[in-house]
Amino acid sequence: MAEYFGATVADIFNTMPERFKPEEAKDVDIVIGYEATGEGGGKWTATIKHGTLKVEKVEELKGCKTTIHADAEIFVGVTLGKITAIDALTSQKLRVVGDARLLMTLLPKIFVPFTVTPRKKAVSARAILATVESRFRPEKAEGVTMNIGYDLTGENGGQWTLMIKDGRCTVREGFAEDLAVKLIMDADVYAGMMLGTIDGASAFTSGQVRIEGDMMAAAATTKFFHKYVDPNAAEAEELICLRVTNSIDQRFASGPVMGRWFAGLKEKKFMANKCPECGRTQIPPREICAICRVRVHEFVELGPKGTVTNFDIVYFASPDPLTGAVRDTPYTPIYVVLDGASEQDAFAFELKKEDIDRIKVGAKVRPVWADKPTGSFRDVLYFELDR
Amino acid sequence: MKKHKKNRNVAIIGIGQTSLSSHKEDQNQVEMVQEAVINALQDAHLTIDDIDCIVHGNMELFEMQFAPDLWHSLGTGAYGKDEYRITTGGTTGMTLVCAADNLVASGLYDTVLAIGLEKLQEGNTTGGITNMADPLWFRNLQTGALTGTTAAEMINEFGEERAKRAAMKYRIMMDKHAVLNPRAHRRFGLEYEQAEDLMANSPQLVGELRLIHMCSQSDGACAMIFTSEKKAGKGTGKPPVWIRDHIQGHREETIPNLFGAVKPEMTHHYCARKLYERNGITDPVAYFDVFEMYDPSAWWAMDWLREFFLLKGDEHIKMLERGDFDLDGKIPINPSGGVIASNPIGATAMLRPAEAALQIRGDAGPHQIKKEVRHALASGFGGTFWTALMILEKDLNW
Repeated sequence: MAEYFGATVADIFNTMPERFKPEEAKDVDIVIGYEATGEGGGKWTATIKHGTLKVEKVEELKGCKTTIHADAEIFVGVTLGKITAIDALTSQKLRVVGDARLLMTLLPKIFVPFTVTPRKKAVSARAILATVESRFRPEKAEGVTMNIGYDLTGENGGQWTLMIKDGRCTVREGFAEDLAVKLIMDADVYAGMMLGTIDGASAFTSGQVRIEGDMMAAAATTKFFHKYVDPNAAEAEELICLRVTNSIDQRFASGPVMGRWFAGLKEKKFMANKCPECGRTQIPPREICAICRVRVHEFVELGPKGTVTNFDIVYFASPDPLTGAVRDTPYTPIYVVLDGASEQDAFAFELKKEDIDRIKVGAKVRPVWADKPTGSFRDVLYFELDR
Repeated sequence: MKKHKKNRNVAIIGIGQTSLSSHKEDQNQVEMVQEAVINALQDAHLTIDDIDCIVHGNMELFEMQFAPDLWHSLGTGAYGKDEYRITTGGTTGMTLVCAADNLVASGLYDTVLAIGLEKLQEGNTTGGITNMADPLWFRNLQTGALTGTTAAEMINEFGEERAKRAAMKYRIMMDKHAVLNPRAHRRFGLEYEQAEDLMANSPQLVGELRLIHMCSQSDGACAMIFTSEKKAGKGTGKPPVWIRDHIQGHREETIPNLFGAVKPEMTHHYCARKLYERNGITDPVAYFDVFEMYDPSAWWAMDWLREFFLLKGDEHIKMLERGDFDLDGKIPINPSGGVIASNPIGATAMLRPAEAALQIRGDAGPHQIKKEVRHALASGFGGTFWTALMILEKDLNW
């Protein structure tokens, strides 16, 4: 099966059950279809129902509320975060039929992200021995003359002699005649010890390493060499990022002019103010008319009905700035010139969800008030079509 | 019309950028800043000792780091120097350039370094932008910078088919430019044949504003060095590019009054009109050789071209359809790929004059315009329709 970024498409689905967070999916009831095209691709469905998950490899995507389609490489890349999801979505390399919000909202909530542990390239004993001469520290081996034999068994094994003499170290295959010490072990144990994944003392104690000859000489040899450094280690280096969440509780003074506006809301009234020079109404009211640069004192009640001049049907799941929760989409802010307002000055508010399909520029709308207004922006629930 | 008073002329003598990408997890903010600053110093053949003052800018609300200039000072080189910090939302980068221009023109400093940056991946852009809204009223509605109102208006004015085609042609043209710019963040390799498919299938964000139309969120930094007429061209690396004039325009603070039954004059139009008037430019399309425009979305870009060039009716759409805005067209727009391709917000508006200046110098790189560029226009945008507009010149002869 074709691998991309060190993983196959099947890996993603095979690990789905163990990455599933049932407690986050208690209220979820959805079937999501996945189609990865090209080499290593296939079709899968994930059925999530009240905290349970069923992943199936299928021939055809049937009964799915939302389906996600991409080339296998894009699929793995996006899942691993190697390819930016929003860019893949923007360039149409990743397509979502149905609710694209899932990618940003539901899926990150109910699944632990898919990751692959970078596989280190295996380092052979032979490769490590090839670095011995360059790691030699002559200053630590002054006056030492010694031949050390390595009898490495197993598939990657062989026989070598490290010859230390006159401040130099040379490595040659086979055994020299006068070995001070011979170390016998599996080649992979040797590699593990050099990489630091196997503890030398434990390996000796457990019999994985046998030493023939001068044991003290064997122990002394380590200081003659610089530590071996895995040339592949850099690949697996982690980029450490710190996570911080700020939550700030704020309160803002409204002042006398906006105070009048909020006081109006308590009585289910839209209180604008009117410029004494140009006659423009301002809603919400403002201290001065920015155009005429004069103070505005006269308050007038506008609406409550009005005419829609423009609107936005929002599909993108952005957070509600007042709560931080992801908004339920689609929702629709409308721009309204309230009855009695001057024609320059529109007022914005959210439209009732049930009316989204029927909204048009020029439509008449009316506010729906909260039962007990308290003088806040929650006093108006929404505007609805005035029929 | 009163001329913009300027004590002395100011030249751009150094430009440095980092690459622009979605993630820069291999360096922290200080290191990213330093990369851009070093590039600008090398470009100008100067060292940090030659810099008299530093102007720093980003949107602190995005990364939620107060006084980021303190943290960044090792990267900007501000230690022991005069420094100012500017944060004006989307216009930040251009405001930095305007401020640097003013600081040098005033005579207070000879050589000024400006640095704009953002690491949007380290914060929450929509959260930050939302906090721009009037806290007393509009925050209940504000959701970042996404709106489909311009699309709705253009569809209403020019018909659905023509308006959608224009926005998509603009978008694909920007991608074609971005593909040539090795520093650009998003380079998709889009083809004009894909227009129909993208128009129908790109996910809708708001109304007819689709994902493909909208700008990216990027990480990156841009640094520029400015000096006085007397010092420019003396021992510095590249030929100086002259700042002829700049203007900044703000409108009333609320968004809804953009959507009354009658429209106010847009700040883009207001600034363009005033700027051309006081510089004696009667035909901006004929005068300028390139326009690096702050284009947050393809719809806004199309609509705004009419405002910036003081065009009427469908002239701007005709120009697009004719290919006038292409890289080899009459007045190329955003050879860099624009904001749609790369958007590290605090640097974004600085990249506009930076890229325009590179075009004038003739060393922009693979996205260099073939014909000579003598007069360039660059714009910044932010907040509730704030505009910054700047004229750059090859020759000091006006």
